[in-house]
Amino acid sequence: MGLLQDSMTIFTREMLIFKSNLRTNLIRSMIFPLIIIIFFGNLGNGVTNVPIAVANYANNPSSVQFINTLESGSTLSVQAVTNQQEGLDMLRSGTISSLVVILPAFPKPQGGSPSVYVYYATSQFAESGVAIPTIENAAAKYSNGVGSVQIESDVNAVSTQGTSSSYRAFLIAGVILMSVAFGGVFGGGMSIIVDRQLGNIKSFLITPISKNAIILGKLFSGTVQSTIYGLLALVIGLLLGGGIAMGPFGLVYIFPLIILVALAFSGIAIMLGSRIKAIEVYAIIAQTIVMPLWFLSGAFFPASSFPAFLRPFNAVDPLTYATGGIRDVMLNGYFPLDHILLDFGVVTAFAILGIIVSFRLFKSTIE
Amino acid sequence: MSSNEEYSVVITKLSKKFGDFEAVKGIDLKIKKGEIFGILGPNGAGKTTTLNMILGILKPTNGKIIIEGYDNSHDGQKIKQMMGFMTQETVVDSYLTARQNLEIFARLYHIPPDRIEEKVNHALKEANLTSFGDVASGTFSGGMQRRLNLVKSMIQEPKILILDEPTTGLDIQSRVVMWAEIKRLNKLGITIILTTQYLEEADNLCDTIAVIDHGVVKAIGTAAELKKIVAKGNILGITVKDDDMVKVTKILKSKFGLDVMDNNGRLEAPITEKPLQQLIKIAQELQKEGIEVLTISMHLPTMDDVFIKLTGASIRDDTSSGNAQAQKNMIKVGFGGRR
Repeated sequence: MGLLQDSMTIFTREMLIFKSNLRTNLIRSMIFPLIIIIFFGNLGNGVTNVPIAVANYANNPSSVQFINTLESGSTLSVQAVTNQQEGLDMLRSGTISSLVVILPAFPKPQGGSPSVYVYYATSQFAESGVAIPTIENAAAKYSNGVGSVQIESDVNAVSTQGTSSSYRAFLIAGVILMSVAFGGVFGGGMSIIVDRQLGNIKSFLITPISKNAIILGKLFSGTVQSTIYGLLALVIGLLLGGGIAMGPFGLVYIFPLIILVALAFSGIAIMLGSRIKAIEVYAIIAQTIVMPLWFLSGAFFPASSFPAFLRPFNAVDPLTYATGGIRDVMLNGYFPLDHILLDFGVVTAFAILGIIVSFRLFKSTIE
Repeated sequence: MSSNEEYSVVITKLSKKFGDFEAVKGIDLKIKKGEIFGILGPNGAGKTTTLNMILGILKPTNGKIIIEGYDNSHDGQKIKQMMGFMTQETVVDSYLTARQNLEIFARLYHIPPDRIEEKVNHALKEANLTSFGDVASGTFSGGMQRRLNLVKSMIQEPKILILDEPTTGLDIQSRVVMWAEIKRLNKLGITIILTTQYLEEADNLCDTIAVIDHGVVKAIGTAAELKKIVAKGNILGITVKDDDMVKVTKILKSKFGLDVMDNNGRLEAPITEKPLQQLIKIAQELQKEGIEVLTISMHLPTMDDVFIKLTGASIRDDTSSGNAQAQKNMIKVGFGGRR
């Protein structure tokens, strides 16, 4: 009871400081997501003549008309293939970025499921980001009969329904986690260094509260602040054209993932902050930790586009699982149980590691 | 407890090592209840290390600290509740209002929630900051911040107040105000332990002074007692041209039997008997030898003299870096005030 109460006092103090700088804090945390989503999110826009292939099993007037629609305009460069296998081979070899398969029943549904399937390669995210919306638009005319277009996220991946597969939508999950991670290391941890320089840590330590109360209070406040930054990035992403494919219910998954990542980075930051004296050194070390974790998670580029030697790093990067989870929810709209277990398992372990590290390796240097 | 009831703090054989460096080497101190106890010493003497151990934020390598009858190795919580501390730097959360600053510390000291508001209001009044209660303390002048800092350190009504160089970096006027404040608190029955590198501060303020250098207590006593260590009588001071210094030293030693010391180019020697007559004789003798005397004077021993005697050097020498630090602090405080 005592520890919790004391840590809440420290928490209150941290949040009061946060509040007194609220505008600066929020603006600072918004600039990065805005820039990245607006500038880099348009990657692929303006791309023309994206090579795609069509396997037309229907061969009726409607399907020919559909293909004509795809060919009109300069966005897509359509070539016909005789069967699905040929198209998939081309997709794998990278000669096309997407494959449209029109089933015989088109424009009516094929036994209750959609009659148009789109396969795309995640490695060609920029091109498929352009191709898929165009295909979806063209198919929308037939939506009464087609049902929704079925999009296969990768050649080997499970069939998933997507609302949006542009690069911008892809990027949003990565940007959310970037806001959380950077908020975590440059919020709470840095405040420890400043507090020590100003003598605040000493003035806390001479009161009857324990060292652990200081750590816990900082951990809480760091987590809350980074979570706010993460949610802010989510809102920005949604305002700039992203969507949650799973619908509002998806927040039930996104929110805890953000909190866990925030907790992990706040913990690491507190440990580092307690051991590093100079803010400049801290900034370098913190960036050295966060930057690779962020890049390797596939936040910017899909992991499938990584060279082979980077793949193992991607696999052991806890952020990979946080990004993956958020993307399942926002992009694919479907979060299979095995993904849920893996993603939450890894991210929870990461958060626990952060907490342990902050308590065990905290050094209350007072000189 | 019973035998030491008159003492607030009893320190026995206290030492602290940082790696190979022994900052404090077996200090014994007894601090009486209700006194102002000064720890005097140059920078790096071990003053702050000693205070940190008394405060319970630094673990002694050896030795024992008993505070108000409690051993600080296992009754830390109780002891911390009884002690207030004001640092060398002014520690206020500049983004928080004066009121928020005080509320946070009231909560950290476990003051019951229903009493916090009353306490905070009282503290604001004490610090003369009632009308600034809801203003961010970062906008305060240096003096206001220091007053806030002091009432913040006192919010739990401590029995002992520890001040680490409370006037370092203050201008003379603020220093006098701070001295008056310390004396006022002491009159309320609070035991005060302070460190200082200012001799006149120790002289003016402290009931008992411990001179510490290189981690060792060199002497302990009242200012008057310490001055007696130097000389029972007066101190003669002569300045001559550099070329004449050796010659004058010789004359003073051989003809007058004086124990001469060089204090920053000024020759000093204690004179115990018939000081005035001696002074005249010395002046005549030097004139006869054809030595040009630049100044000649006589004064009662000061804490400065005590220092020279105890540490073999003038405190001004030893703390040249300390004074630079003090000046830097002064600039900092001045800056804070203007912003």
